[in-house]
Amino acid sequence: DHSQWPQISKCRSPEMETFSCYWTAGNFYNLTAPRIIQLLYKKSNEEDWKECPDYITSGQNSCYFNASYTSVWTPYCVQLASKNELYDKKCFSVDEIVLPDPPVHLNWTLLNTSQTGIHGDIQVRWDPPPTADVRKGWITLEYELQYKEVNETKWKELKPRLSTMVPLYSLKTARDYEIRIRSRQRTSEKFGEFSEILYVSLSQLGIGCDHCTEEVEFPWFLVVVFGVCGLAVTVISIMLSKQPRLKMLIFPPVPVPKIKGIDPDLLKKGKLDEVNSILACHDNYKTQLYNDDLWVEFIELDIEDPDEKNRASDTDRLLSEDRLKSHGCLGVKDDDSGRASCCEPDIPETDFSASDTCDATSDSDQFKKATEKEEDLLGLDRQDEESLPSHANSDPQRQHRNTQSENSHPWAPFADSVESPRPSVHTQMSNQNSLTSTDFYAQVSDITPAGRVLLSPGQKSKMGRAQREGCTEQNFTMDNTYFCEADVKKCIAVTSHEENEPHVQEQSYNEDGYFTTESLTTTVANFGASTAEPPSSEMPVADYTSIHIVHSPQGLVLNATALPVPDKEFNVSCGYVSTDQLNKIMP
Amino acid sequence: GLLLVVLLVSHMLLTKEGVTSLPICPNGSVNCQLSLEELFDRAVKLSHYIHFLSSEMFNEFDERYAQGRGFIAKAVNSCHTATLTTPEDKEQAQQIHHEDLLNLILGVLRSWNDPLIHLASEVQRIKEAPETILWKAVEIEEQNKRLLEGMEKIVGRVHSGEVGNDIYTPWDGLPSLQLADEDSRLFAFYNLLHCLRRDSHKIDNYLKVLKCRLIHDNNC
Repeated sequence: DHSQWPQISKCRSPEMETFSCYWTAGNFYNLTAPRIIQLLYKKSNEEDWKECPDYITSGQNSCYFNASYTSVWTPYCVQLASKNELYDKKCFSVDEIVLPDPPVHLNWTLLNTSQTGIHGDIQVRWDPPPTADVRKGWITLEYELQYKEVNETKWKELKPRLSTMVPLYSLKTARDYEIRIRSRQRTSEKFGEFSEILYVSLSQLGIGCDHCTEEVEFPWFLVVVFGVCGLAVTVISIMLSKQPRLKMLIFPPVPVPKIKGIDPDLLKKGKLDEVNSILACHDNYKTQLYNDDLWVEFIELDIEDPDEKNRASDTDRLLSEDRLKSHGCLGVKDDDSGRASCCEPDIPETDFSASDTCDATSDSDQFKKATEKEEDLLGLDRQDEESLPSHANSDPQRQHRNTQSENSHPWAPFADSVESPRPSVHTQMSNQNSLTSTDFYAQVSDITPAGRVLLSPGQKSKMGRAQREGCTEQNFTMDNTYFCEADVKKCIAVTSHEENEPHVQEQSYNEDGYFTTESLTTTVANFGASTAEPPSSEMPVADYTSIHIVHSPQGLVLNATALPVPDKEFNVSCGYVSTDQLNKIMP
Repeated sequence: GLLLVVLLVSHMLLTKEGVTSLPICPNGSVNCQLSLEELFDRAVKLSHYIHFLSSEMFNEFDERYAQGRGFIAKAVNSCHTATLTTPEDKEQAQQIHHEDLLNLILGVLRSWNDPLIHLASEVQRIKEAPETILWKAVEIEEQNKRLLEGMEKIVGRVHSGEVGNDIYTPWDGLPSLQLADEDSRLFAFYNLLHCLRRDSHKIDNYLKVLKCRLIHDNNC
């Protein structure tokens, strides 16, 4: 157990002229006779171990080497041993173990006091340790002063210095202080022991004031408050300042989503023209979204998927600028077709090559226009005037449409082409807006001179309401290709009461102002074959008549020519002449 | 202009332990004659600085490379300057003539010229030597040269009559610094640094003694 063995605790030289070594005896000592322990030393240039010359001077368990035994820069080794045992060994040189004695003769003098008398400065002086020969320059000492108030626990330290005097500033006259100093050799790290404590009491000199108010400590609270206020004022002034650059620097604007060039307010107001023009400005994006046709004002939104009509309305589409942006109507390819529709926002840009949604061809568009017009005219087979009487089915598509229209008896003008069971039609199908969607786009399908406007959803039409009664006896001739809208409406209105078919009622009793083929179909089907009373006037119809004005749904105003008086054989319902009827008329 | 002032101020603040150039007698002036006191002041400052650097360098080396190797037990090896009989205690230092002491100082300084050059170059080959050690080695070598020059000036001033023997001890420790065995090589470095610390302390002490004796008449 080495902790009980004798150990050399330290070797120390106070002035670089002598040195002493101290050891601990351990518990070992009790068992054996005293003085068994020996300290042997050896200089580096000697061979033999010598015994300690002085066991007494430095106290118990010590060995003192006086000046004659001390060689400063010579390496020594000392060892603690008894007769046959070696306990400890240490090697060093004297210049390494210098630990000076504490300074002596501490005193202080008053330098001056503050005007208020609360603080004072003093000068502390001391003498170097008497053992250290500083005068001859054999040893150079550094001093460190520490002081504190009497009732404090922590000492304040000053920087080590060479001089033997130091001023202390701003001591409180009302308090007492303690001062202590220690020294070390200049190039060493370890300090010697502290000197005795010096007591400083400024009040004893009769200076200072007893009634002085305690000095306020640093007003942290005020500093914080004023700092915060100043900062707030600065921030507010920056925010309110007119200098945009400064403002931008400190408060950078938060980006919000927007389309370049499109003002959200513009869209909300429903200024379609402006929006149209704006959209048209992007790249080579040409649009004829809003053509000048009186009859037809609609938005052609090309879709591939019929399901897409269930999505959000045009309004949403246009106003959801992110979608628009990301899916780029802006990225529409221009192919000189003359007509490039706005792409569906849901169609990703990558699919542009695949789909031809944005790749309109003129033919299809024109066809589309034409077909839609055709539909608007209540299925009037009017491609151009020439083809009317002949009802030429030169265009198979037209024929197809014709048949289609026959089947469906479309009276009601519907702006867009219906969800088509016509696969032959070009894939570009305009989206059929749902009945229930309330767009701010008003699709004016037809304008009657009477002032009746058939509109797309958004406008309530009173037409449906107007005629509530009197549809019982209406007979619709299934022979006839066309129906008067009025007749249908009457019937529909009546049926809405009579037949309690909610679904159909909803559809037929629509207050939106237009009818879909479906609704009509169902409605008409319910009626069975009932002939309609031709309400309109009977006009004499010539063999070939140019159509002057189309007054759908009430009829055509034909140019006045030599008209054979029509027989009453055929019912001119609403003034339209079917091919059959014409054939009958014609000789 | 402002940059210059900033540099100057920072230099003054940073060189606490270092030697600051005194305004009197800048280098290169021919007719300027520094007083002996001035020369001694500078010499003492330099010697103190050199000892400070050596002490630090030794401590760093000891901490980093010598732990657990038992170097200190072997450090009784003598230094190459041991052949020079220098005063070993205060009395001997008191008794020796100042000229002799000055010559001895010169001798020690000259003897360290060579080892310091090699130390600066060889210490870089120590594996992962810290930058501080490298820097200190170079700095000590430089300052030693300056101190030598200063001492020669002092000797020229003080010494009257003939110049004493050219005291000098050659150093042959270079091979030991280049040993292949890392342990032996590190021990060689340890030894050299230990000797350097000791000798720089000696010189510092001797100069202070001389200064107090010659300038302040034993009343520092």
